[in-house]
Amino acid sequence: MQHNNLYTFRFISIITLVASLLLALASTQLKELQEFNIDLDKKKNILKCIGIDVAIMTPDMIIDEYESNISNITLNTNGDVVTNIENKNLKSVQNKSTGQIQYYLDNIEYLPAYKASNPESFIIPIAGKGLWSTLFGYFALEKDLNTVKGISFYKHGETPGLGGEVEKKWFQDNFIGKKIFNSSAELISIKVVKGKAGDVLSSDALIHGVDGISGATITSRGVSEFLKNDLLRYEPYINRNKSN
Amino acid sequence: MDKNIKAIISDPMVDNNPITKQILGICSALAVTVKMEQAVVMSLALAFVLICSNVIISLLRKNIPGKIRIIVQLTVIASLVILIDELLKAYLYDISKQLSVFVALIITNCIIMGRAEAFAMQNNIKDAMYDGLGNAVGYGAILIIVSIFRELLGSGTLFNYSVIPSSIYLENGGWYVNNGLMLLAPGAFIILGLIVWVQRSYTKYVED
Repeated sequence: MQHNNLYTFRFISIITLVASLLLALASTQLKELQEFNIDLDKKKNILKCIGIDVAIMTPDMIIDEYESNISNITLNTNGDVVTNIENKNLKSVQNKSTGQIQYYLDNIEYLPAYKASNPESFIIPIAGKGLWSTLFGYFALEKDLNTVKGISFYKHGETPGLGGEVEKKWFQDNFIGKKIFNSSAELISIKVVKGKAGDVLSSDALIHGVDGISGATITSRGVSEFLKNDLLRYEPYINRNKSN
Repeated sequence: MDKNIKAIISDPMVDNNPITKQILGICSALAVTVKMEQAVVMSLALAFVLICSNVIISLLRKNIPGKIRIIVQLTVIASLVILIDELLKAYLYDISKQLSVFVALIITNCIIMGRAEAFAMQNNIKDAMYDGLGNAVGYGAILIIVSIFRELLGSGTLFNYSVIPSSIYLENGGWYVNNGLMLLAPGAFIILGLIVWVQRSYTKYVED
């Protein structure tokens, strides 16, 4: 069938117009539900990183548990608690090269964190670059602010089966019980090694290292780096409040 | 039912199955068959896109200018894929997170473009709809069969329910260990290969 050029242009314009209108409509209609899901997923991962089994909980139970267990705390960059600011009002700005998220209100930088009452823990948001994408998650410390309570990731774009293993239980469970400070009170953070931690680290260093992901060396290195960078920002607060 | 329609639906299920006979859409068949839940949702998403795209393209077939027909087909398919992706994010968030990029990649699934170009462009709306249905069932059936084997052998569960008694597992003093290979892509390749072999020795089909 032959059509002239004018017809072709008209036809494709109408098709694209109709398609884009329909998609815009769908996107605006579903936005509220999607945002609720994203928010719920963050709450779920905050609870997950302090060791609560969220897999068996319904959305309502997760929201109830979150409301009763988790409280927000906002710090300034000196590590002092700021009381007149809420975490949700902070504007987040992502550093394009490292993936680190910085939080601002009126051009002053703040550090959002969370406290859980049962089990008592201190939770910070973590973010940084892996291989393909920025990983977003939470990292929890026990009340001594030295022992790792847990880690979880709620968003990443790493390859499933390779870098994507960061969201798996085996990887996250390895962090539990590790220490972020060494015996001379230096912040060492947790290093994701290449291979099995037990094979490559001395017994002293083992408490600061976890098994790497085979086939995902760059993702593993990224996790070590951004975890340390994020912890360093909270170090003033942690130093002041940790128990020796 | 009309004999012709019956043939249109049943042909892609076995004799002309898009995966095992035409070897199309393999990528997603390997990627999302670790768990049955994912395979079922993926099959439904593909069925939605395939049936709708066949119907819409068949509806427009007399008006689509020949020179830009592939572009028009892609516009229709891409819009439907974005729509189903948005719907999954709104109503089945956890599964959509697991399926990650593979829902968006339905756009590049050869089955859909293939059916649009080879069938919907020449046939009426009713036949195009049945053709979409038949191919979607043919695709979904293989995905679900592969995922049954992978989830059962790889995780010891079906639809996330444990079916292998926990007492026989090695860590509980038994002898059984889940087969980790089944969770990786090569496991899917092996099962898919076995299915193709069984099917071809049954239908006596030989590649020219």
